[in-house]
Amino acid sequence: MTPADVLRSATVRFWPALVALALWLAASVAHAGEPIRLWHAYRGAEEQALDEILASFEGEVDLLAVPYDAFASKLESTVPLGEGPDVYIDAHERLGDFVERGIVAPLPFALSPEAYPDKVIAAVTIDGRPYAAPTSQKCLALYVNTALVAEPPASVERIAALADALPDGTFALAYEARGAYAHAAVLAAFGGALLDTAADDYAFEGPEAARSLEFVAALIEAGVVPEDADGALVTNLFGAGQAATAISGPWLAADLDRDQIAYVVVPLPTIEATGERMRPLLTVEAVMLSPRGAQNPAAVDLVEHLSGAEAAAIRARVARSVPARADLELPPDPLREAFAAQAELAEPTPSTAAMRAVWEPANRAIRKYLRGEVEAEVALAEARRRYDDLRRPPPPPASPTPALVVLGLLCLFGAGLLVHRARKLGPGAGLAALRQSLPAYRYVALGVVAVGVLVVLPILFGAGAALFAGKPHAMYYVGLANFTQILTARGGSLLATGSFYVVLAVTVLWTVVNVAFHLGIGVALGLVLSRPAMRLRGLYRVLLIVPWAVPSYVTALAWRGMFHRQFGAVTGLIHAINDLLGTSLEPIAWFSNFSTAFAANVATNVWLGFPFMMVVTLGALAAVPSDVLEAAEVDGASRWQRLTRITLPIVAPTMIPAVTLGAIWTFNMFNVVFLVSGGDPDGTTDILVSEAYRWAFTREAQYGYAAAYAVLIFLLLLITSRVADRLLNRGPK
Amino acid sequence: MWQTRPESRDSPVCMVSVRAKQLIKRFGETTVLRGVELDIPDGKFAVLVGPSGCGKSTLLRLLAGLERVSSGSIWFGEREVTTLEPRERDIAMVFQSYALYPHMTVRKNLEFGLRLRKTDAATMTARVEEVAGMLDIAHLLDRLPRALSGGQRQRVAMGRAIVRRPALFLFDEPLSNLDPALRAQVRVEIRKLHDELGVTSVYVTHDQVEAMTLADVLYVLEGGEVQQRGRPIDIYREPDNVFVAQFLGSPAMNVRSVELARGPAGEWRAGSVPIAQPSAFAGLEVGRGVIVGVRPHDLALVGEAEADLRLRAEVVETLGPELTVHGTLESDEPFVAVLPAEHAVERGDTLALRIERLHLFDAQTRQSLRC
Amino acid sequence: MTRRADLLESLAAHTVILLAVCFSLYPILWVVSLAFSGATSLEPQVLPIPVEPTLEPMREVVGATRVEPDGGEIWLFGRQLANSLVVSTATALIGVSIAIPTAYAFARFEFVGRREGMRLLLATQMFPAVASAVPLFMILEALELLNTRTGLVLCYASTSVPFAVFQLRSAFEAIPEDLEEAAMVDGATRFEAFVRVVLPIARPAIAVTFLFAFMTAYNEFILAATLLDDERAFTLPVVLQRFIGEYDARWDLFAAGAIVVSLPVMLLFYQVQRHMVAGLGAGGVKG
Repeated sequence: MTPADVLRSATVRFWPALVALALWLAASVAHAGEPIRLWHAYRGAEEQALDEILASFEGEVDLLAVPYDAFASKLESTVPLGEGPDVYIDAHERLGDFVERGIVAPLPFALSPEAYPDKVIAAVTIDGRPYAAPTSQKCLALYVNTALVAEPPASVERIAALADALPDGTFALAYEARGAYAHAAVLAAFGGALLDTAADDYAFEGPEAARSLEFVAALIEAGVVPEDADGALVTNLFGAGQAATAISGPWLAADLDRDQIAYVVVPLPTIEATGERMRPLLTVEAVMLSPRGAQNPAAVDLVEHLSGAEAAAIRARVARSVPARADLELPPDPLREAFAAQAELAEPTPSTAAMRAVWEPANRAIRKYLRGEVEAEVALAEARRRYDDLRRPPPPPASPTPALVVLGLLCLFGAGLLVHRARKLGPGAGLAALRQSLPAYRYVALGVVAVGVLVVLPILFGAGAALFAGKPHAMYYVGLANFTQILTARGGSLLATGSFYVVLAVTVLWTVVNVAFHLGIGVALGLVLSRPAMRLRGLYRVLLIVPWAVPSYVTALAWRGMFHRQFGAVTGLIHAINDLLGTSLEPIAWFSNFSTAFAANVATNVWLGFPFMMVVTLGALAAVPSDVLEAAEVDGASRWQRLTRITLPIVAPTMIPAVTLGAIWTFNMFNVVFLVSGGDPDGTTDILVSEAYRWAFTREAQYGYAAAYAVLIFLLLLITSRVADRLLNRGPK
Repeated sequence: MWQTRPESRDSPVCMVSVRAKQLIKRFGETTVLRGVELDIPDGKFAVLVGPSGCGKSTLLRLLAGLERVSSGSIWFGEREVTTLEPRERDIAMVFQSYALYPHMTVRKNLEFGLRLRKTDAATMTARVEEVAGMLDIAHLLDRLPRALSGGQRQRVAMGRAIVRRPALFLFDEPLSNLDPALRAQVRVEIRKLHDELGVTSVYVTHDQVEAMTLADVLYVLEGGEVQQRGRPIDIYREPDNVFVAQFLGSPAMNVRSVELARGPAGEWRAGSVPIAQPSAFAGLEVGRGVIVGVRPHDLALVGEAEADLRLRAEVVETLGPELTVHGTLESDEPFVAVLPAEHAVERGDTLALRIERLHLFDAQTRQSLRC
Repeated sequence: MTRRADLLESLAAHTVILLAVCFSLYPILWVVSLAFSGATSLEPQVLPIPVEPTLEPMREVVGATRVEPDGGEIWLFGRQLANSLVVSTATALIGVSIAIPTAYAFARFEFVGRREGMRLLLATQMFPAVASAVPLFMILEALELLNTRTGLVLCYASTSVPFAVFQLRSAFEAIPEDLEEAAMVDGATRFEAFVRVVLPIARPAIAVTFLFAFMTAYNEFILAATLLDDERAFTLPVVLQRFIGEYDARWDLFAAGAIVVSLPVMLLFYQVQRHMVAGLGAGGVKG
């Protein structure tokens, strides 16, 4: 049965089927007897431990594992509406944000100072009130491969000294050198910090910060530390025995196979240059209550159960977690004890808004410096500016009167325009025209309602939000302040990375390059495929359409993998070329350079988009009359002339709508940029949409600001398309 | 070819006259029809002819109900149909493109109208068989339109109109997509079919041969107005104005603007051409600007003495029984003559020609001066 | 032109196409080889051939189950596959069935607001979803559809309806108007002509549009991950996304899942692809 047949039978039994479908869908999963809803982001052993803990709980619990990346946004989109979980487990550093948003309720019971270390209690206390019941502590520590290193080295310098004795391709120390989270430990040894907790202000600056960066750069330079390791690569390197030591958290142990690799975990080493120990940031995992859960005694019981001693014992046994409580007798476990020892030396990550604003600038500064683009001082100064930018005071509330006046004038103008039009048509003609339109309105009614409610209304609301500032649910009117800030690059240089104009330039480049490739490849393949003598045409067409059929996030992630510097296929290709030709090409770190990162994005998007253009071309080519081409051939036109003077001009008009839509989509192509380069390096490959996304969903959810971006994107596209339309229509038909 | 079986017709033919009063049709700012009057008697075959853009197709679409009149009224018999939907008018139409439903077999195409009228299956089959036999398409019934030749599609389109037994047939240039030989053949068949079925028909064409051969009543349209109505032969012989005179007839009538004058013997002349029968015309005045028209067929080769004009032959076309001579007069104006084929005319010959019949039109109004 | 030149040209054409085929298939084969590799190798691979071939990741993904509070075990993956299929089908059905009459009116009728409507529809495509998603949530909240699959379907319909209107409008415009007029003269009302003549002829284009609408829903994960909070209501992309965390990327599971997820839509695509050329080009239907 072809889809067309399915469709036909579907139209016959259309309404009943649709009604049934709607009922099935509307039956949102039943909450039988309203069990307590518990959300967590655990996987593997920690999830097992949780299951075991819950097994001994009296009440009924509805458990949901939410991906870590989506955890906060799901809480933010559900809890304020009275949906979502009653109880959830999350890291303490998000508490500050949750409190501001009213996602978390204070604990209805006190945390005993005897049971918990002071800093653990402090971590979950905001404005003097405890907001979460701590369960476990997590921080970085040093993993040592005992097959490669007999005795755990006491200092980073000793680790570095190992490098020469190690086999080729094996690193002395693997850790996420480019991330601020891991760097915080190094920084602490140099006497610096990311945040000045006393003043609640940015502190990643000054000579200590610069020296810490230079220290790491030297390690990378010497080949001690891999340059672009992310979390997954650290796991892979250490797990494969290609790293003598690694700095990572307990999650690494969960991924390691004891049988394949022998290792011990010890607290982080000292740095001889300063004589100080590296001190990591501490994360306290804790159970939190949503405001709804706080009303429910059973949910409160669950919190106590989850944070109780018995639960901690299970967690320690099954997942080898370091308990947050200090009052437990646990069986010995060297791994857990090593992490516990490290935790005592660690400082909890501050949970203030200022800390949350530190991450992005700090990460970018570290990466930028480690790529060798700028001096440490410059990178740090840039980061400071970026931090100030993120933490800039929100615009002051403005009086809505001017907006209302403008709105009123617009309404008047619109009404006047209508009247003018009706007049021009002549008396009664307007009504007559409306009467004649009635049959058509019956056809479009459903579409108008659907598009109106689902498309136009959200857009109007979204556009309106551009005039507001503040967090969702607490927004206030600020007039055009958002636009002014964007268009003046928030007072910074108009040509700095991240300024509206620079991002716009990147976006335009992105669009032009992509559309050019889509068109070039699509049209070329279409022309070749439609050669009259082409064999295997059907097969080729199917194979070439394949990229279109694969879900785009799958391909985006696959491409990101292929561009991976260490084990990506592109690196494999370079190795193969080296082996074959005896050359010594270096693998490219695709995402640490604007041009290569941009190229990787383009390659992915071209791969995704060329089949569409090819199919459009094939359709348009089918409409080119062959006699015209024959006439041109008789007239002595060469093959190239026939192509450029006959075929393409005939094909062009039918392709223009597809190209226009393609250009609009590319301009707003969020997925590829976000999933492949993620803006790397340093946000330079971000396009306007992904920039707007960052403002809306990271960076303190400055939703109004993001909306202003969206409005600007919209206006740009609208004006461009109108101008293009004019130009095209003025040309010869 | 038409295998009609009149005895099988189970219901009497219902015929209607077609009348239109002061039809005006505007599309936005442009007026396509400016007060058209039609009066087509029962059972007659009317042809609307005119150059493209004259409004003939719009007029047909108004009759079909596919467009709404801007003002005026349309009557089928005693019934006013001006505002009725097409389906309420009891008509059938053959489209230029045939408009066969591409997703239905020929049989389904034929049955479609009957099905919509909830005809019972037996009647439907009988009627389809009858029409298929009549049009010689019985062997095509289970094919899809795309598997048919142009001529076969045309037949199916006709069959789809006939099978419904409407009170009125509308034809919108039904032959223009056929090759010339087939066109001539089908033209004859259409006329035969009409004579057998006797249903009132309105036929739109730009082809004057079709117009002349098919019509009982011919309407010549131009500029959204009826220029002349009548029997084809009457219109050919006595065109009311320059447009009609030039539009009908092939090759087209020779015309030139001249002034009326009197010759030395007091005889009337149009320019240099003598007017043989001045009594046939009204309003002859010396100095009046007129357009004189001579049909190429209304010329005879005569001796030098009798000649009204001399034509220098430049191109001679031989078409079996006739010669068409294209050339110039002494005044260097182009001129065409059609002569019997027995004359041997060579390029460069100068022919002495007598005008057998001429037409006079007023230079301003371009209306005929015939009385 | 000589035979030799013909041969050379044909050779060049096939070379170009084969290169393009390699380009288009390579990433897919890469994913396939990942899915069937036993070892997560750190050696960069050029040829996408599985290392230590195994079906384990596939088994782990497809065989996922869940123990219900009442002790019963359900086949979680099957449930999620069904969710994906039902949500996508519903999106496509709603999108296409709303778009069909709308597109027809835009293609055939003159009415007050026609030009403005089309412009508005095009304009909506220019507004980034980033800013309209939150208000859309608010509307769903007002309709009490926030955590339901219906809400998800409505979200997806907000992108599929405008697109389907564009697609179908050009498809309807490509159908000669004569056909409807013939049907109306034959005794059909405008609506009957639309249903009995236009729709059957437009079937290939409708099938293509249906497929696109289906795919927008089938491939989406950001909204689905945000809107749904019950594992049993998840759609497959959400499940897939969870295999790749920041610190714990199970590429083998992701790849295996990607294959299973892609297969249905690739099959559909294969079924419909021969209509695409006609459906997307201006050619439309030829008598």
